Amino acid sequence: MSSQNPLRLERITHRFGSVTALDDVSVEIADGELVTLLGPSGCGKTTLLRILAGFIRPSEGRVVLQDRDVTRVPPHKRPVNMVFQRSALFPHLDVRENVAFGLRIAGIPRREVSDRVADALRLVRLEGMESRRAHELSGGQMQRVALARALVNKPSVLLLDEPLAALDLKIRLEMEVELRRVHRETGATFVYVTHDQREALALSDRIVVLSEGRIEQIGSPDDIYHRPVSPFAARFVGDANVIPVHVRQLRGTLATIALAGHSLDVPCGPSVARGPAWLVLRPEIVSIDSRNGAGGELTGVVRDLAFRGTGYSYRIEVPDLPELVKAEIAATHGGPVAVGNEVTISWDPDACGLLTRNSESNDDYHQAVNESDERDEDAADD
Amino acid sequence: MSTTQRSPVTFAVTMLALLFLYLPLVVVVLFSFHATGALSFPFTGFSFRWYRDTFGSPTFSSALQNSAIVATSVAILTLVLGTMAAFGLSRCRPRLRAPLAALFFLPITLPGLFVGIALLVYFARLDVQLSLTTVMIAHFVFVFPYFMLVAMAALDRLDPALEEAASDLGASPWKVFRKVTLPQIWPILAGATALAFALSFDEFIITFFVIGPDSTLPMFIFSKLRRTVDPSINVVSTVLMATTLFLWAVAFVFALRAERGRTRRAGGVLGEATP
Repeated sequence: MSSQNPLRLERITHRFGSVTALDDVSVEIADGELVTLLGPSGCGKTTLLRILAGFIRPSEGRVVLQDRDVTRVPPHKRPVNMVFQRSALFPHLDVRENVAFGLRIAGIPRREVSDRVADALRLVRLEGMESRRAHELSGGQMQRVALARALVNKPSVLLLDEPLAALDLKIRLEMEVELRRVHRETGATFVYVTHDQREALALSDRIVVLSEGRIEQIGSPDDIYHRPVSPFAARFVGDANVIPVHVRQLRGTLATIALAGHSLDVPCGPSVARGPAWLVLRPEIVSIDSRNGAGGELTGVVRDLAFRGTGYSYRIEVPDLPELVKAEIAATHGGPVAVGNEVTISWDPDACGLLTRNSESNDDYHQAVNESDERDEDAADD
Repeated sequence: MSTTQRSPVTFAVTMLALLFLYLPLVVVVLFSFHATGALSFPFTGFSFRWYRDTFGSPTFSSALQNSAIVATSVAILTLVLGTMAAFGLSRCRPRLRAPLAALFFLPITLPGLFVGIALLVYFARLDVQLSLTTVMIAHFVFVFPYFMLVAMAALDRLDPALEEAASDLGASPWKVFRKVTLPQIWPILAGATALAFALSFDEFIITFFVIGPDSTLPMFIFSKLRRTVDPSINVVSTVLMATTLFLWAVAFVFALRAERGRTRRAGGVLGEATP
């Protein structure tokens, strides 16, 4: 399982007919890393995983596994194994035979097969289920078998294609814990495809955010959440207010921006230039105040209020802003502010982000909006 | 289904229709056990004499043997070639698939008379001597589309992810077929093979055109009818019917078995909805 050499995807481009599914994608994955390919449906993440597995040959680019170019190697000769979205357990075999499948094909001696199968089933906590058939298992158990069936072969990379997408929320959360544990215990390299940003944040060492066949951002969950490089990344990973603003003046790491008729100072990175920009506000850094005369940056009217257990989620209409501002407020004394009340909005200036906006990137903005809507729908489907 | 009123008239008509369909069959079977040579009522006594007579006759034995040889060969040939064709067709480019499938299934709609004459002309043109071999070829042409229809349906219902999973786990294409695909479709293929045997075993019209000097069971009955009419015809018919019924039952059992496997499999695959 261990090799010092990483998996490299070099400049992968793939076209289905006239549709470009992947456009010049390069990723390097270190040994033992859990990397997530994250993006909305149609972003190319599954295509990329299938290229890794060998089911698809990319139109251009190379797949290098342990310093060996495997781009043209068929799936059955690649040292990678996959966990499929809908488990794909062999219905004519029981759990033990399913897990032993790869080892039997490889001609491993009977004794070793039964030892390794037992180890793999212990790893996924399915001891005692050896003689069950797939139809006698729950969804979560089926995915555990699928995980054991792949891991038992000690693949140099384990590929997971939305393995939890078809499970109920409660089982999904349990399985996340299990996947983290299995990853820790095996030290194997995982490449994990998902459209669920929450799952990606919870599981990954690194996240590759994909949009329309291109890499939007690569980084740790913390990086991507706190320092998104694009409105798309900001909106797709976690929730965010992405507000169009104008940078008037730059003084070192402080920018003076024009926002809905106000002039505000916010800290910024070196890449920000004068001109159009995006202000990124995570809903949890926004605070509101309903007292008159409280010194906030913006004033608005509460349009929606939802109880979230740990607090309240507000949507606030601010004049001159294209969208309602989202705010997550921890439950405090005094109860929530009712819909229709006027509030002032403020935020921790050190926690907001400023991104340069190309003049033509209004499209970008709308794309980001649409993608985040789509994601909400996906979540609703689940 | 909506709730229907049980009218005695409907019941009576249904029973009459069933009687009309099955009574002749019952009469044929019954009179194969007749003690005398009469083929119609009154039934005067029970005996196995016509069975002894028939099975003792060398022409019957050779016809039975020919039918068995032809039907077995046709069934095996259809199983091998039909499986290969169905497999190829289910995996070929979608654009080619529909027209190719139509060409494969079309012969079902052709009248047997037409197929028989066409094959006879064809064999004559090629100077092929009519024999049991030409009968086998003709039966193969006739039976093949039925087999394809069943085999294609079975292959279409396979989850492609299973074959991908097998290949991902190191199985070569041949091993994928042997260890994953075949175990799931063999009941259907076995059923379809039994069907092929049954269809060939009692085929008459096409056989009539391409048989030459040999005889099969249906041909034997036909020639018997033209000479002496006695209960031995009933005996051969009964044998034919029993064999065919048995094979259809076999096909049915295999289909049931596959269907049970499928419902189990549906339980073995996580939720159908994919994003």
